[in-house]
Amino acid sequence: MREVSFGQYYPSHSFVHKMDARVKILAVIAYIVAVFLVKPFYFLGFSACLAFVIIATAVAKIPFLKVLKSMKAIIFFIVLSAVLQLFFNSQGTPLWENGFITDAGLYNAIFIVLRITLIVLGASLLTLTTSPVEIADGIESLLYPLKFIKFPVHEFALIMSIALRFIPTLLDETDRIIKAQKARGADFESGNIFKRAKALIPVLIPLLISSFRRADELADAMDARCYSGSKNRTKYKKMKFSYRDLIGVIFTAGLIVGVVMLNGVLGVVV
Amino acid sequence: MQIKAEELKFVYGKGSSVSSHALNGVNLLVEEGEFYGIIGKTGSGKSTFIQHINGLLKVQKESGKIVVGEFDLTDKKCNFKNLRKKVGMVFQYPEYQLFAETVFDDVAFGIKNFMPETSSEHTTELVQQALELVGLDYDQIKDKSPFELSGGQKRRVAIAGVIVTKPEVLVLDEPVAGLDPKGKREFLTLLHSLNKSFVKTVIIVSHDMNVISENCTKVAVFKDGKVVLEGSPEQVYGGNDIIEVGLSKPVTQNLIDDLNKVGVKIDSGLSVESFTDSIARVFGGRK
Repeated sequence: MREVSFGQYYPSHSFVHKMDARVKILAVIAYIVAVFLVKPFYFLGFSACLAFVIIATAVAKIPFLKVLKSMKAIIFFIVLSAVLQLFFNSQGTPLWENGFITDAGLYNAIFIVLRITLIVLGASLLTLTTSPVEIADGIESLLYPLKFIKFPVHEFALIMSIALRFIPTLLDETDRIIKAQKARGADFESGNIFKRAKALIPVLIPLLISSFRRADELADAMDARCYSGSKNRTKYKKMKFSYRDLIGVIFTAGLIVGVVMLNGVLGVVV
Repeated sequence: MQIKAEELKFVYGKGSSVSSHALNGVNLLVEEGEFYGIIGKTGSGKSTFIQHINGLLKVQKESGKIVVGEFDLTDKKCNFKNLRKKVGMVFQYPEYQLFAETVFDDVAFGIKNFMPETSSEHTTELVQQALELVGLDYDQIKDKSPFELSGGQKRRVAIAGVIVTKPEVLVLDEPVAGLDPKGKREFLTLLHSLNKSFVKTVIIVSHDMNVISENCTKVAVFKDGKVVLEGSPEQVYGGNDIIEVGLSKPVTQNLIDDLNKVGVKIDSGLSVESFTDSIARVFGGRK
């Protein structure tokens, strides 16, 4: 349970860690757009994205293994989409006689695996270098314009940061309840998928109930300290755009230009 | 069933950069029939140790051994399901494990898992017994939702759900935390009466020195993942080692020590009754 790496903040004082959260969020969005811009069969574009992630990871001084570990959580999803592409793509010509695996299916499978992998790597780099609080603050600041259409930006950001804050707590709680039910003979490891899903009920219900209890307690604690939304609230840490962020923006812009160029402007097909 | 741990070690997050050594070679022997107390500061390895007793935490490679009755937990073929049937475990705040629609179903959960062939009549009988043992009225409570009960009742139901399969060893982690004085007394009485029936051995983890000294036949003190003191409550609390470990003495022991300082020698056990008897004996003659 504790080994979930995806989304776990890796504390450090690197260049990337010190960047403005807003810039990092926008950079990741731009990066994801870049990954989607890569046209099928133009794999050089993917190498540019990979290079972007590797350089950013190195600058952030995060062990590469740590970033790779974030793949563990979605490996099933990746394999599933690859298999679906491989076996259910009817376009293209079969790779061998009477085979149902086509060349287009194979290309698509590789393409999708690369695409998802790169997106997850980039996204996990954001959460590894930016604490949940910073991310929530960043999103709040980015959504600020929506205030003019009466969208409750601050509340939205608060809900998000509370949700992020309680992930480790809920993981601990899950661990404890699983152990308690195991001690009463619950079996989560054997049987078919339906049996296993049903075996989770004794875990999910106590978890749900304790989440409600925690929510109530948190609301009381906030009330007791006279918490009142966004009006006139000041921030402990002000976000500032620095030279680091300028470098980050240039670097990300470089990626987008690079991907578009590799997308055939240069006329290279790999 | 005898519980025997030899040089038991355990590391959380083994191999990663954030690994922490929870147990550093625990040697402990709990004989059948004992009411065994485990004390120690937070993070001393108590909880990690008790989770080994029913195999919730598996013994790691080359990390010593633990044998519970006929079960060798280092053996790959060890049948953990049978072990868990014989070793009941009550976690801290057990009321948070309730999940079923009715109290009956929740208590019967263990029977369904451990003894799936049990007839419905026998199940009813066992559930009724368990609920009555924990002091609840079977007819009144069996069809209620566990979530509409009071905190104390919930805890009783949760404990009924553990003892319903008649474990021989009962392990409890901070069982009296959050109970009022009356609830605490009732609960300890319940434990003693269980200890006289099918439960042969009780192991209890607590921060409450009075609870430990009054109820336990033997006490082990954990520090930094090791057992540093072990013996009867009188032996453990009698000296000053217990203070050096960072724990405190029970009220009765403090009184005995203070009286000793002013020259009154009291020869007494650590229960309040034994203490007041001794006091009466010493001062009885000088009215």
